Amino acid sequence: MTDASWTRSGEAPSLTDQYLLSAFGAVLVVLLFFAPELVNPGLLFIIGMTLIQSVFALSWNLLFGYTGLASFGHAGFYAIGAYFTGASLRYGFPLPFVVTLLVAGILGALVAYVIGIVALKRLTGIFLAVLTVALTEALGKIIGFTPALGEQDGLGNIPRPVINLGITSLDLTHSNAYYRFLLIACLLVIGGLWWVIHSRLGRTFRAIREDADRARFIGIDVARYRVISFMISGATAALAGALSAPWTRIVTLDQVNWLASTQPMLNSLLGGFTSFWGPVVGSVVFTSINYWTRNYPGLSEMLVGGVLVVIILVAPTGVLGILGKLRTRLTRGGRA
Amino acid sequence: MINQSVFVLFNGLASGMAFFLVAAGLTWVFGILKILNLAHGAFFMLGAYIAYTIGGASPGSLWAFIGVALLAAIAIGMMGLVTDKFVLGRLRNVDYHYVLIATFGLMLFCEGVAKAIWGSDYYSVMPPPEVDTAVKIGSSYISLYTILVIAIGLAAFAVLELIMNRMWAGKIMRAVANDPWMAGTIGINVPMVLMLSVVASFALAGFAGGILVPNQTLSVHVGSSFILYAFLAVVIGGLGSIRGTFIACILLGLVESANATFLPEYGGIAVYILLAVFLVARPQGLFPPQGAL
Repeated sequence: MTDASWTRSGEAPSLTDQYLLSAFGAVLVVLLFFAPELVNPGLLFIIGMTLIQSVFALSWNLLFGYTGLASFGHAGFYAIGAYFTGASLRYGFPLPFVVTLLVAGILGALVAYVIGIVALKRLTGIFLAVLTVALTEALGKIIGFTPALGEQDGLGNIPRPVINLGITSLDLTHSNAYYRFLLIACLLVIGGLWWVIHSRLGRTFRAIREDADRARFIGIDVARYRVISFMISGATAALAGALSAPWTRIVTLDQVNWLASTQPMLNSLLGGFTSFWGPVVGSVVFTSINYWTRNYPGLSEMLVGGVLVVIILVAPTGVLGILGKLRTRLTRGGRA
Repeated sequence: MINQSVFVLFNGLASGMAFFLVAAGLTWVFGILKILNLAHGAFFMLGAYIAYTIGGASPGSLWAFIGVALLAAIAIGMMGLVTDKFVLGRLRNVDYHYVLIATFGLMLFCEGVAKAIWGSDYYSVMPPPEVDTAVKIGSSYISLYTILVIAIGLAAFAVLELIMNRMWAGKIMRAVANDPWMAGTIGINVPMVLMLSVVASFALAGFAGGILVPNQTLSVHVGSSFILYAFLAVVIGGLGSIRGTFIACILLGLVESANATFLPEYGGIAVYILLAVFLVARPQGLFPPQGAL
């Protein structure tokens, strides 16, 4: 990242902008909360998947946009979470659902830790990309050989959980109830990521992304923070997978290959990887393109692929970057 | 055991050569342009579809089959020209992340085009009649098409080695790969060399598509397994080295074939172990890049 125009603009949004954005966010959350009453079940399913994809894309962008590492095998983490939760619910592991989710996240972090200490110190760039691709493919093969995980057919008929709260219990078997749980869980995870990125840790990550050598000179243990970033990212991706299993109620091998790994990249790039909300915007844009072009085979790939190429060539900062540029131009024009 | 070994050897060599036909163009472009072209497999896939469209499901003769593959090579080479002009040519000096993502977008675009033109149906192509039989070697039967693929792979490697090491064109390419700026100052038309490399690489992908389409189910995903192994080979071989890629392809082919024969219940896992060992023990690859191919 040498070109100055490709880095984040340091401009902080003004106070009125912040109020407007917060108000917009609040309205959006309320609308999302009442979505089961507002839209049909098919669309509700897509909204739920978009939420999960947003979290997944944010987890990837923590690595790419904030630490400067590209994982091309992120579907592996997603699959770890999805398969663990799917198996846990299907075979009735004696774990409360929330604990299951946490364990899924911890599993993701552990795997990321192992990859991190073995590979991250010596491999960056294309080597890391190929290694992460290969590990995900290998994971897919292993799942394909494991009868308990459904081999080639995937794990179907995953029941939705009932959360025991002591006196009362929270029944999530109905899709509307699980949707609301999903929404709250995703908002909490997104909030957690926001906090990480805006904390001291996030600033350390950004220092490494901007210039790893300089970061090393001022005393940052670059290898260690890269592993930490990889772990948080892996845990979040696993959590996204874990939340998806009861929503789709089936986990298949389609989610464990390198093409699946490119989904979060696609969303982050479409929306704009230089901004926190870019991956979320990208997930919404991608889902919408897919939804509107579903009757024309090939059109969605052409559109998404074409848009991606154009974005890299013309505006590497994505949709939000273009909007930001437009806004600066308009406000400057107004002042002049 | 001996039977199986012969079988493993021939099948392994055939897959290795198939991987090499795909990987050669990939490593060539990487060596010269330092671009890892994720869309390479998609152009291989388009080459296979074009060969199917021109030559039909059962090619009349061996020469017609090879001719069709050459036509596919020309068509994909032309696409390479266009792609270089509009996309790859603009990615010469940007961070490799953007290159990966742009070529990935290109790959999606190609898949979309293929789906729109040829639909989501599966097609299959027969090997040409001359090689649609098997010969007995030892006591195992080896299909002649397998031997044809091995022969074409070896020939492709020999030609590439000859060009790179014994010919003027190869010296110019090595000079450009080593130091484009310096090559420019001594009067080499660097943009032209880069463009021709891209065209050659794409043509190789199209040719591979035409040659390898028999015995595959032709769908949008026909390239995905080849291209994955090609990436592994490029990394194991040392980025940009044709010789290293060739050896890595044979290694991958043999390991994959031995795995499938002796441990079929865990098919496809051994190559990843091989890759992991290589990445940890020798991350620079068999023939690490020194600017030369």
